Amino acid sequence: MNHFPEAWGRPRDDVYGAYNPSYLQTTGPKAHTSSPAVTGTSVLGVKFNGGVVLATDNLASYGSLARFTDVKRLRIFGSNAIVGFGGDVSDMQYIDRLLESIDIRENYSHNGNMLNAKNLHTYLSKVFYKRRSEFNPLWNHVLVAGYDAEGEPFLSSADLLGTTFSAPHLATGFGAHLAVPILRRLFPEEMPLEEVSKEAAIDALKQCLKVLYYRDARSMDKYSIAVITKEGIEIKEDEVIEGQSWAFAERVKGYGAQTK
Amino acid sequence: MTSIGTGYDLSNSVFSPDGRNFQVEYAVKAVENGGTAVGIRCKDGVVLAVEKIITSKLLKPGANKRIATVDRHVGIVSAGLVPDGRHFVSRARDEASSWRGVYKGPIPTSALANRLGGYVQAYTLYSSVRPFGTTAIVGGWDSEAELAVDGQVGTGPASGSGGKVEGAKGGGPGLYMIEPSGLYWGYYGAATGKGRQAAKAELEKLDLSSGNLSLADGVKEAARIIYVAHEDSKDKEFELEMSWISSVDGPTKGRHEEVPKELREEAEKAARRALEGEDEDEEEKMEE
Amino acid sequence: MFRNNYDNDAVTFSPQGRIFQVEYAQEAVKQGSVVVGLVNKTHVVLVGLKRNAEELSSYQKKIIEIDSHMAIAIAGLASDARVLSNFMKQQSLGSKMTYGRPIPLDRIVNQIGDRAQTNTQHYGKRPYGVGLLVAGVDEAGPHLFEFQPSGLTHEMVACAIGARSQMARTYLERNLDKFPDSSRDELITHGLRALKETLSQDKELTVDNTSVGVVGLAPEGSKGRIESFKLYEGQETVPLLEALERADGAAEESMEVDS
Repeated sequence: MNHFPEAWGRPRDDVYGAYNPSYLQTTGPKAHTSSPAVTGTSVLGVKFNGGVVLATDNLASYGSLARFTDVKRLRIFGSNAIVGFGGDVSDMQYIDRLLESIDIRENYSHNGNMLNAKNLHTYLSKVFYKRRSEFNPLWNHVLVAGYDAEGEPFLSSADLLGTTFSAPHLATGFGAHLAVPILRRLFPEEMPLEEVSKEAAIDALKQCLKVLYYRDARSMDKYSIAVITKEGIEIKEDEVIEGQSWAFAERVKGYGAQTK
Repeated sequence: MTSIGTGYDLSNSVFSPDGRNFQVEYAVKAVENGGTAVGIRCKDGVVLAVEKIITSKLLKPGANKRIATVDRHVGIVSAGLVPDGRHFVSRARDEASSWRGVYKGPIPTSALANRLGGYVQAYTLYSSVRPFGTTAIVGGWDSEAELAVDGQVGTGPASGSGGKVEGAKGGGPGLYMIEPSGLYWGYYGAATGKGRQAAKAELEKLDLSSGNLSLADGVKEAARIIYVAHEDSKDKEFELEMSWISSVDGPTKGRHEEVPKELREEAEKAARRALEGEDEDEEEKMEE
Repeated sequence: MFRNNYDNDAVTFSPQGRIFQVEYAQEAVKQGSVVVGLVNKTHVVLVGLKRNAEELSSYQKKIIEIDSHMAIAIAGLASDARVLSNFMKQQSLGSKMTYGRPIPLDRIVNQIGDRAQTNTQHYGKRPYGVGLLVAGVDEAGPHLFEFQPSGLTHEMVACAIGARSQMARTYLERNLDKFPDSSRDELITHGLRALKETLSQDKELTVDNTSVGVVGLAPEGSKGRIESFKLYEGQETVPLLEALERADGAAEESMEVDS
């Protein structure tokens, strides 16, 4: 056995094989974050007649470990906009501080010129694009909700590459696969926004959250939901998915030891 | 001013044989000509007020603000050269923002005053710059509540104290005045500008050090003091601008905001009444 | 030659706390030809009197568009104004690029104010020798600002700077209460009349020496929120000057009736 100090505290080579230090890059080009660490999963958003609703669960995962279970991933900007964060939580905290500094700056004078959600989305997408162009991305996919300059409900997404996308209903992460089809069924393309009520939008998101909790192993049943209307922002950060039924799980086959 | 013309007053950072820096003293003169500004440190908040002489009828009424917000919880009012005051405020904002960058929380009023004092003092050190032609009053409220760290996402452990001390209270009001020399003190009540003598006399009557004056009364007093200080330049019209910062459970929730219009007008009405009352008293005495 | 020892640079206070170099720079503004600005509830109007160095030379521009929602009128050193206007154009473009928002007026005015202040506190710099009227619209409506070489900025309801501008200011003060409810066209006429007040006996407003700029909120029900800045020069000023003449004619007639 090797008793030299440099081997202390390391897995033994004869048991675990030689240690692979390749990730401890010592030479070559400088590498920035190339993968997220602590992450949040899907963000869901739906526009309705007169406003927008956003929802996320309260989980921050460390890989497959459900590490933090009280994480607020919906952030309110001033009284005009909500940003929902998916992806790396520390990058989310960085962006949150960035938004806070902008909010303080915007409030130096009260001249009726507050940044609206659309302005905020433009700004965030530029930040993402700049950082990815420096090969140092902020590992997030966000939804921004609020109103545009004309006072119309606004909902749009921006991701770590600076890609932007807008639709009457949006979902990031796993939700893009599991929630969007549900939302498309509930609110088809030909359905005008005026016919979508606030209650219908909220119910739809609750339904999506439940499906995601069933199917997404990086999700949980505690969630936050925020509604923005002309009256202001109403946010609940301590909700629990109700009416769960895991009966379907018995019929799920094809995993682990159980193969038939 | 006996040494005027001896040449020691032509450059900043130069001492005269009797140990004075004349350029700093001249900068103070610029302050003494500016509109009166006052600040009052009350038990549950801070009030700032300034007298704005209306130099032209063409100015848009109520539009040209002279009290600036630095961070959510701090405001600054200054007397003297207005553009210098803006430079000062701009630096204060940078300091508050860089503090947040390092400590992830709001800058304590005392720390801000300290940094600004250092900044202003640096402008007395070199012949390549001139001192600030302003005296600034910095008012703030350091939150007494448990503060979240900027960007905080969770609520911490559900059981145990999590390092928190039950019932501990910190924070409170802060009021500082920074002079062109970089000198600054903390104050119960501060006044600067043209009417500072009269304003100081009024502030001293308030017994502020006992800490009994409420913010609501402070607003009324600040308005009255500006009106008293204006007496000497009565022929000129002026606008009163007032801002306040209350405790976290007070009307501004720990934020620096303009005093609402109705409240200000009420305070102004009371101020005018108080002044008229005084005049009548004097007349009565004369008659006696 | 020198008035005293305290006026050689902008970093020396006089014993009274004055900075003579800054005060001298304000004099440069008074050497420039006059510009006038005024606001009503929806629009801001800038008018300027252009000068030519000699008979055969072109006229110096007085009104510069910064962005579709904002313009400046200048009095004083035109080259200093160019430095400031380039800076303003960059800032305005920057705001549109990063936020997709036209820059709020008070913000950009404060920015040039802060720049000008720096020039009055550091050795080796000189104050700008130009005064500006900044006109534009933002979320809060139309605005007019005055900028001075000292770095002082004020929001005004009406303003005039430059040579003989006192005459124009007197006119503006006398008619102040008429502006808020006047129409866009009436506001232009008021501006031109204020400008006319400053002219010496042998001069008059012509298509060559008159500049008019207008920016404002779009009328209800139209497509955009703002009516983009429009500069009237040369032949385009003809209808505006005619409107002034008509209005003045009507005023004179009614005065005759009165007497």
